[in-house]
Amino acid sequence: MSELFTKNCESDQAVPFTSEQTQNCLMDCDMEEMSADNVKTSPADHLQQWSQWQLLDSILPTGGFAHSSGLEAAVQARFVVGPEDLKFYIIQVLENTGSLLLPYVYCASKFPDVESWFKLDRLLEATLTNEVSRKASASQGSALLRVAASIYVEIPSLKQMRDTYLGSGAASFHHAPIFGLICGLLGFDSSTSQRAYMFITMRDVVSAATRLNLIGPLGASVLQHQIAHVAEQMTKKWMDRPVEEASQTSPLVDIVQGCHGYLFSRLFCS
Amino acid sequence: MSGKGGERGERKMETGIAAVEKVGGRSTVTRCFSKYPLKLIVPNKVGSSKTDAVWIYTLSYGGGIVSGDRISLSIGVGDGCTAAVTTQASTKVYKSVDSKCSEQVLEARIGRNALLAVIPDPVTCFSTASGRHESGEKWEFELYRSTNQIFLEEDQPLFLDSVLLEQASTCSIAERMQEYHVIAMVIILGPMLKHVQNQVQDEVKKMMSRHFRVPTPTAGHYMRSESQSGPTRPALVASCSAFGPQAIGVVVRIAAVTTESVYMFLRHHLATLEPFLGVIPYG
Repeated sequence: MSELFTKNCESDQAVPFTSEQTQNCLMDCDMEEMSADNVKTSPADHLQQWSQWQLLDSILPTGGFAHSSGLEAAVQARFVVGPEDLKFYIIQVLENTGSLLLPYVYCASKFPDVESWFKLDRLLEATLTNEVSRKASASQGSALLRVAASIYVEIPSLKQMRDTYLGSGAASFHHAPIFGLICGLLGFDSSTSQRAYMFITMRDVVSAATRLNLIGPLGASVLQHQIAHVAEQMTKKWMDRPVEEASQTSPLVDIVQGCHGYLFSRLFCS
Repeated sequence: MSGKGGERGERKMETGIAAVEKVGGRSTVTRCFSKYPLKLIVPNKVGSSKTDAVWIYTLSYGGGIVSGDRISLSIGVGDGCTAAVTTQASTKVYKSVDSKCSEQVLEARIGRNALLAVIPDPVTCFSTASGRHESGEKWEFELYRSTNQIFLEEDQPLFLDSVLLEQASTCSIAERMQEYHVIAMVIILGPMLKHVQNQVQDEVKKMMSRHFRVPTPTAGHYMRSESQSGPTRPALVASCSAFGPQAIGVVVRIAAVTTESVYMFLRHHLATLEPFLGVIPYG
């Protein structure tokens, strides 16, 4: 006969259930959850998941929907004509994001203090030599910081930092370091933070593809899942690197992105 | 404005050193040192004698770089001077033996009201030791990294560019670059060159704008998978960006199907430098 155990809330001792209690246990489970390998996840971890999901939800008003990562320009110049082109283009955007921007997310999440963030912001300002990408990064980063400072009131440094640097014009508020900083301050590990950055990048390009009428919403979801393993490969390949190693690996994508300003008719900012 | 660019880290013995200073009111090469495999040539006169500019040609013995070579050139351009640095012929990089990497480094310091024009010929990478450029061998090298860094006073980073082309499992370099066999980058920096910057920005925009058209809708359907008939991709694609405080610099990045089209582009856009340098770069 096996006995079902539960933890007594007041003491840490395991106490065997009676048969009536066993019934109730299944309905009345606000005890700590036991995962498969018996590692308990704490209420703090659970709460963190709500913050994490909110941060990655496209409904967060950071203006990500205004940017296509150069997809609009690629379509108009016939670099993306069919579904295979689209898939290939998204993969290259992910590769470039990994090689150029993940180091910034990594460093900001590992050292989530204002001084380190500011250095990263200045470095990225000099590194984003493509004006279109640079402005898109600053616009998204600023919006993200404004939103995060309002939402995560338990982290007053976000608002303080914003107030300090907004007026002076010394910072550009680039997206990758801000994203990494917020992840770090929320307690996410750097691996999750980097993976999350790749996720939102993919999410936004796929979304842009549907709005450009390149693919339907269902097709887009199918594509996103198909590419997920490639995105994971790239995350593993480019994660945990110092910013000195940040490089571009898809020069053609960069050039096409830089052409966004030459589009006569456009839906997106970049 | 002073600036310096190049590789940081441990300082190894330079392969070449050149210094340009004003002597008798004219830009003069006051120091010129080089050792194997690098050779520096300073012709007596390039272009009109009215122009105050010195030209420094660099060439590699054997016409190329082989595995393990590290060529580093350090140039100083003094206040008010003008200098141009160029390669005499296309730099060829041969297939690496023992997987050793080869390196070419240029570091320059530029004084106040000084001008340095770096006008290299293209780097051509060969997949075979013989250097023959057979079909299907475009972009067939393992790794190519190009880094360009520009700093203002007190080591403030202004422009940090690094391009890494590496064969990858997800896609080869050739697949990534498609039919574009040449990439190039032009950086025009400093208040003295504002008119050149403005002209390049306007012209690149005019040239590229006509290649971007909203595709005609296919009656409510999503993209077809067959290639559509109609206009093809541009044979040369370029984008121009301003960078730095007060947009002090402009960078143009180019990808093209042929080297000749890039030469034409450069000749055309850099022609306005003739009064400064005495000749048209790539002319």
